[in-house]
Amino acid sequence: MTCARVRSQLSSYLDGDLGSSVARAVGAHLEGCPACARHLQSLRAALEMLADLPTLSPTEGIAARVFDRLEVETRGPGLAMVFRSSRARRPLIFPSLVTAGLLVVTILVGAVALDRAWRSLDEPLPPVASWEGRVLPASGTEANPLFPSADVGLPRARPGERVSQELLAQMAEGTIFLETVVARDGTVSAVTLLTGDRLLAQPLLDALRQQKFEPVRLRGRPVAVSVYRLISRHDVFAYKSIPSS
Amino acid sequence: MATGEMSLRSAEVLPGNAPDQVLVERCRQGDPSAFARLVALHEGMVFNLAARLIGDAEEAKDVAQDVFLQVYRTLGRFEGRSSLKTWIYRIVVNQCHNRHRWWRRRKKDCSRPLDELTPADQARLVAGDRGPASPYEELRRRERSGRVQTALSSVSFDHRAILLLREVEELSCEAIAATLGIPEGTVKSRLARAREALRVRLLACLEEGDRT
Repeated sequence: MTCARVRSQLSSYLDGDLGSSVARAVGAHLEGCPACARHLQSLRAALEMLADLPTLSPTEGIAARVFDRLEVETRGPGLAMVFRSSRARRPLIFPSLVTAGLLVVTILVGAVALDRAWRSLDEPLPPVASWEGRVLPASGTEANPLFPSADVGLPRARPGERVSQELLAQMAEGTIFLETVVARDGTVSAVTLLTGDRLLAQPLLDALRQQKFEPVRLRGRPVAVSVYRLISRHDVFAYKSIPSS
Repeated sequence: MATGEMSLRSAEVLPGNAPDQVLVERCRQGDPSAFARLVALHEGMVFNLAARLIGDAEEAKDVAQDVFLQVYRTLGRFEGRSSLKTWIYRIVVNQCHNRHRWWRRRKKDCSRPLDELTPADQARLVAGDRGPASPYEELRRRERSGRVQTALSSVSFDHRAILLLREVEELSCEAIAATLGIPEGTVKSRLARAREALRVRLLACLEEGDRT
């Protein structure tokens, strides 16, 4: 058996997949050929090192994030729904709007006022009007952070928790549209990229997930809200006239 | 309270050893605790495989979420011809492959190597049952892991996938064939080429490490 033939069989030899006569021939060759024996040794060592790689564990529960996303997707009349269903193929509205953006512009829409304010303090948070016949979870909860009130202000980031200007300044030219769900305790329960380049947005998404806000209250009651951010960066160069000679 | 939180708590109700078929059936009936249980059972495997395939822990978190969303949406199509785990392996490999193609198409590679994880990530590295190691031993082990990951990342995606499924996840060739949707003979020949490619790249990485 030639060295090349033996080396082509080493993988099967290690797995014990060779027939007995071929295995014996390979074994005999390996005993008499130091080069092929070293080849087998280095192959075995490489596979052992691969198998010995430490197991990586996620730093945060994946389940909670998955449930957040399922909630966001099924909760109903939010901008998220409009954009999520379409973003894979053709974003609906924004490309035509964002081309007008200059430098870095951040728009915080906050809680979307859909129809009316509550009549009294005691009245429970009402469900938002059903969407395609489905009744939605109570408004102001993490499962439905869109609710009918114009009385809710934007959540304020806790001191030292603002997204740094440096991070925004590092962004390449482009536009992203994000939804952040701020839970009732002020933590961020979900950040969803609605439109835009994921690679462009990734550092910002990571930073936003770690952000902490002052809990948003509506008449003394903590509520969850959605925050929408449109961030557009376009470099602008001043026109420099060339002096005529 | 978010429904997701409720679901996670009620997951405790489901026995930990519920067989796949029971879990799948209960998921199909819309039982959120069954799906929470399914995620809890497989999230470690999904994250580790995705992180090793992509070589980027942050990206792997997103992939892991996408994998379980796909599992949730397509569970109705799971026919039970392979095990649930094999089916999930297939989704992980496909999701990672899509991301890999996406990066290549844009000629971008912003991956952050796994040995450059944040301190919090590093602290979560599970070193198996080797017991406490000295700082020197720990450093050496990390260096070696870094080189193995570099070598692994330098082989083709198909080779990386088959190596991880075989050597790390310890799947049989038959199970790998079911996972990747290729004949068993192809698995064996691809595995042989992948092992040789890894051997060559790893030797080069180790020699380079010794020189520096």
